[in-house]
Amino acid sequence: MTTIWTHTTLPGGLPLVWHRRPGAGLIAARLWIRGGSSLDPQGQRGAMQLLAGTMTRGAGALDAEALAERVEGRGAALRAEASEDCLVISLKCASEDALDLVPLMLTMAVAPRLEESQVDLERQLNLQNLQRQKEDPFQLAHDRLRHQLYGPGPYGHDPLGVEEDLERLSAADLAPLLADLGCGGAVLVLCGDLDGQLAERLHQALAPVSGWSTQAPTGGAGPVGAAGDDLAQQEQSTEQLVLMLGAATVPLGHADALPLRLLQAHLGLGMSSRLFVVMREERGLAYDVGVHMPARCGATPFICHLSTSEDRAAGASACLLEEWRRVLQDPLSDDELALARARFRGQDALGRQTCGQVADRQALLLGYGLGAEHVQACLDRAAGLDAQALQAAAQRWLAEPKLSLCGPAGALLAAERSWVAHRSG
Amino acid sequence: MPLAPPNLLLPGLRPPRQQRLPNGSLTVSLELSESPLVCIEVWCRAGSVFEAGHESGLAHFLEHMVFKGNGTLGPGDFDRRIEALGGSSNAATGFDDVHYHVLIEPDAAAEAASLLLGLVLEPKLDPADFEMERQVVLEELAQSEDQPEEVAFQQLLSAGCGDHPYGRPILGLRERLLSHTAADMAAFQQRLYRADRCVLALSGALDPALPSTAALHEAIAASPLAALKPSGQEAPLPALKVEPGHRRIALPRLESARLLMLWGLPPAGDLHAVMGADLLTSLLAEGRRSRLVHRLREELRLVESIDLDLHVMECGSLALLEAIGEEEDLPVIRREIETVLRNLGDAPPDPREWLRTNRLVANGYRFGLESAGGVAGALAGNALWSHDRSLEDPLAALEHWNPAALLHTCVPLLAPERAMVLEAVPA
Repeated sequence: MTTIWTHTTLPGGLPLVWHRRPGAGLIAARLWIRGGSSLDPQGQRGAMQLLAGTMTRGAGALDAEALAERVEGRGAALRAEASEDCLVISLKCASEDALDLVPLMLTMAVAPRLEESQVDLERQLNLQNLQRQKEDPFQLAHDRLRHQLYGPGPYGHDPLGVEEDLERLSAADLAPLLADLGCGGAVLVLCGDLDGQLAERLHQALAPVSGWSTQAPTGGAGPVGAAGDDLAQQEQSTEQLVLMLGAATVPLGHADALPLRLLQAHLGLGMSSRLFVVMREERGLAYDVGVHMPARCGATPFICHLSTSEDRAAGASACLLEEWRRVLQDPLSDDELALARARFRGQDALGRQTCGQVADRQALLLGYGLGAEHVQACLDRAAGLDAQALQAAAQRWLAEPKLSLCGPAGALLAAERSWVAHRSG
Repeated sequence: MPLAPPNLLLPGLRPPRQQRLPNGSLTVSLELSESPLVCIEVWCRAGSVFEAGHESGLAHFLEHMVFKGNGTLGPGDFDRRIEALGGSSNAATGFDDVHYHVLIEPDAAAEAASLLLGLVLEPKLDPADFEMERQVVLEELAQSEDQPEEVAFQQLLSAGCGDHPYGRPILGLRERLLSHTAADMAAFQQRLYRADRCVLALSGALDPALPSTAALHEAIAASPLAALKPSGQEAPLPALKVEPGHRRIALPRLESARLLMLWGLPPAGDLHAVMGADLLTSLLAEGRRSRLVHRLREELRLVESIDLDLHVMECGSLALLEAIGEEEDLPVIRREIETVLRNLGDAPPDPREWLRTNRLVANGYRFGLESAGGVAGALAGNALWSHDRSLEDPLAALEHWNPAALLHTCVPLLAPERAMVLEAVPA
């Protein structure tokens, strides 16, 4: 099913891209700006997220309360968040409110007020959030794995930041980041109950706010991986051991991204995936097991994750490491490859259920400079990739995984033994 | 086909269709013209509330065992077939009901519905598979117990709901899980998975002119759904009463302190009261302009977050408040929350606040009906519990509320002295 997008450009260069999907009477909007936490300056990890959060706390003529009133008074939902590669302002509103609210998104990006007291509050909330994240053993294991895969590099920290840096950040630190915002390109994507007439009125309503000098994002190389410790262990008094085994791979637009996505589909997408069947269904070693592979414009992480009880840590860790080795050594069978392709195709359709999901996907593609034809091109290419191509990609990018463990001492020891045996085997 | 009356509150939606099979089981369906997929959901009144004391955890454990197959499908076969067709499946168990769903392209929907209904309604419950899956359920329980916030919520429910099944964990008590047998589960399954306790909900790409839609309905008529037996006499659901009180627990690995409060509210069947509760909880805690968020987070900066969630359930709904802050601030956090609640009577919402609250509630409901899954869930819930309401009725019910009625009827329900309060602090 083809989705028809209309492209226009606002004065100053911001592309406005929209698609009509009228059913629910709402509009989802995404202002996608290249440059997320990977652009946090040295010693200021967490700055881009702080900037994003503070954008919702006053912009243009509206102070924090007035801005909240404008949005909530319409029953709308508005967020601004930094992830690794981008800063995204997201809006969902009834379509009749779009003319009032969409221009506000642009004002937030161009003229946030960055009032000291609001920056202080947002920073305090982020610090508390960072502290609370430590309750989650998956978060602990994942944070450590970031270091192992990316060291002190741009992908080496959570977008929320690092306590020691965040504590020192102030409104004055955000101003230079704001001045550079949009240099790497930006795009405004709308999906929902709008037609040519409403799009034209939105275009007019946005023009006075614009004058923001930006352009459609281009590809451009993102951050790369950096060699860190092969094995990391954190002792926690939990019942379960969390295991994360991962490697830094390639950007979303790289030729090897597709074979790696198919390997993700094979290993860890869905209840018939290899890890799910081998570890959960056949051996009952874990409840939640899967492969995390987000979209990145730099070296995308490819991470297998699961948690298991202490008494089964030895078996589960050996099994996970064996499955990783299998991907490197044995090509997928015809059945496995066909199933991986079907899951990959299915994922695409399943991820387009709401206006918000459709807008997210389009913003991501355009934000990474990939163009609208990228999805279809991948689906076409996936049909032609054979098992050898997948194996070759695995050998190029997954040959030296890192293991991050978090859990009770006995389980750490058992998993470490499996790791040592795997490395020497 | 009757011409649909214009639907002013939900202009994008047609009226749903209902079809009752001769044995009493019900199918509800709604076409969504923009959906590329069909959503197929089987709902059953077989949540944990229907477990006898010794059956703790069986409703959820059974939901796992369903995917282990039936007479024709081996363990994992169902998922392999569905995923090979480009679809996805999952399931969830609640206090009141359990549901299983598949999302799939229209051309594969008939096959998927046959497979799903066969799987859910005629599970094999093989003893060897049962032993294996018990391990998985125990891992799920351990994973949940490693999240201290989950532990705190469970303690609050258990303290507030007394002997009511809502106070017991859906995942089950470990010692009970260890003693269950496949035969116990089969008895539970046969007691509850009956014709009049099951609803099939369909939504999405269901154009009646498409051959795939006709094939889907044929597959349903020939499925085990049509062969289910009705159940006998039903015992009424136990009424929920939340006991007020105060507890304090210290939890290992908790980093921030939590103040949790639990109130009992009218049940899902009372739509007017439920929408009133929705308005009140939104007025108090949805968005930065809401009373509690504005006062405790934006003005006093006492909390990292404060949420007040409404859980609409059949025995009685629950309002659950969670404030996250520093341990030493808990007394003042509690005092401020109580002040906001008590002051509602003296400071009723002005027209602007009232409009904002109404729009937040109405849009939240409308946005929830955007996806095929959201629509199927709403249709199934109404049919399963005989609520006899249309999808637009919740929106119409909002119009029967005004600030004075809310203050008079709903505000007393959230009185601080009616709440079970739990303070969870880092050990």
